[in-house]
Amino acid sequence: MPPTDSMQDSIRAFPVSVSVGSSTKPSEIECAVIQLFEEFRNPLLRYVISLGLSLHDGEEIIQEVFLALFRHLRQGKSRRNLRGWVFRVAHNLALKQQMANKKALVALDSDEGVAQRQPDATPNPEEQAASGERLARMQAVLRVLPEQDRCCLSLRAEGLRYREIAAALGISLGAVSIALARSLTRMGRVDQG
Amino acid sequence: MVREPFHLSDEDILLVADGEVSRGRAKQARAHLTACWLCRSRLAELEGTIADFVSLHRRTLDPQLPAANGSRALLKVRLAEAANTPSTGPWMRFLEWVPAHRAVACICAVVFLTALGARLLLQHSQLPGATPAEVSFARLAVPDHHLTPGATRPVDIGQVCSMAHEEVVRAVPSGLRQEVFKEYGIVDPRPEDYEIDYLIAPGLGGAEDIHNLWPEPSTAPKWNAHVKDALEERLHQLVCAGSIDLPTAQRAIATDWISAYKKYLGDDQYVSQNELELFPSEQL
Repeated sequence: MPPTDSMQDSIRAFPVSVSVGSSTKPSEIECAVIQLFEEFRNPLLRYVISLGLSLHDGEEIIQEVFLALFRHLRQGKSRRNLRGWVFRVAHNLALKQQMANKKALVALDSDEGVAQRQPDATPNPEEQAASGERLARMQAVLRVLPEQDRCCLSLRAEGLRYREIAAALGISLGAVSIALARSLTRMGRVDQG
Repeated sequence: MVREPFHLSDEDILLVADGEVSRGRAKQARAHLTACWLCRSRLAELEGTIADFVSLHRRTLDPQLPAANGSRALLKVRLAEAANTPSTGPWMRFLEWVPAHRAVACICAVVFLTALGARLLLQHSQLPGATPAEVSFARLAVPDHHLTPGATRPVDIGQVCSMAHEEVVRAVPSGLRQEVFKEYGIVDPRPEDYEIDYLIAPGLGGAEDIHNLWPEPSTAPKWNAHVKDALEERLHQLVCAGSIDLPTAQRAIATDWISAYKKYLGDDQYVSQNELELFPSEQL
């Protein structure tokens, strides 16, 4: 789904200066952040979970994203394309969390002598039963795609334009286009065995 | 699927389907899709894969999402806490955290290092005698990819390799030139300073479209229009010799023509040609 201009318009509409004090009534910036939370919480949570994070980690990242958005708006920084902004912040926080989880896993593996995990393109029985043959095969292909390709697909599925995906992942527009075409081609081949 | 070069690539089909190309390019591509069953069936296949992926994405992730109530309530509390914390800029936070005499010493060190860094940067980025205008030319050596992502027209390799010279070096109409200058915010340009250049050259299937044009500095000290002409010529030769395919050449020049130059012509050739451009009198 393409970006909605109405969202950006509504963001531009609220004033830059807000009173900051001990008032119990939420400020206009708090209200705007909550409004954006309603709009983007699910897409962001789907995205960070699709990167392999747990729901618990995902929920915590979403909290951090919207607190960062509050600070960003309170400092009077740019309000252009806040959808791209929240996805970029969520992506960076998710990578940070992934790194922390990997370090913890490596420590655990070395303690217990567990063999290194390798991605496996074979759909597991749960996947086959849950989703039907073709979707299960697609899921297996998806699992072994390069991480950047998977990120591009997930962000596009959440409605981001190529420019927003490029900004979120810190890559060029051409790289987004190539990643999407390449990964769709690979997933489309599941019928060819 | 093995496809002939005159058909649209998967990437092109996807760009058109996603509305990520210029209006002119989209019109050309849609005309091709209307006429070509092969490309249209490929579009349908890609759309089918997209539909399956979206279905998979939602079916596997949506059931995991809990209701937002708890998360929303927690965020409201955290926002209220954050709102009651005075907003301090990074400098104020730094000064609050570091004792005054250390802060002064740190600031002096930062100012000194910044000045030193700036001086070194200038020494390395400017040629002797380079003016501010030359520095700004250097910035335009590559186009702004938001304004000039590149645009192509549907051509096959036979057409590309049999183009007349006047088609290969086709001049940009005056009105379009002015539009490009305006788009890049260049007011009252001197004709000798810029060449309104095709990012993807007509000889490589580039379109006469504002998305494929930018004001390339003719007199920039390093990467300028003359150097890019050499790359265009080289890519044209490689395409016509069958060494690379046309979409590869188009992609290389549109993505980063300087890297493409280094790849297909090498740094050495750049240096020698650049020296000739810079110091013509020394050839004698």
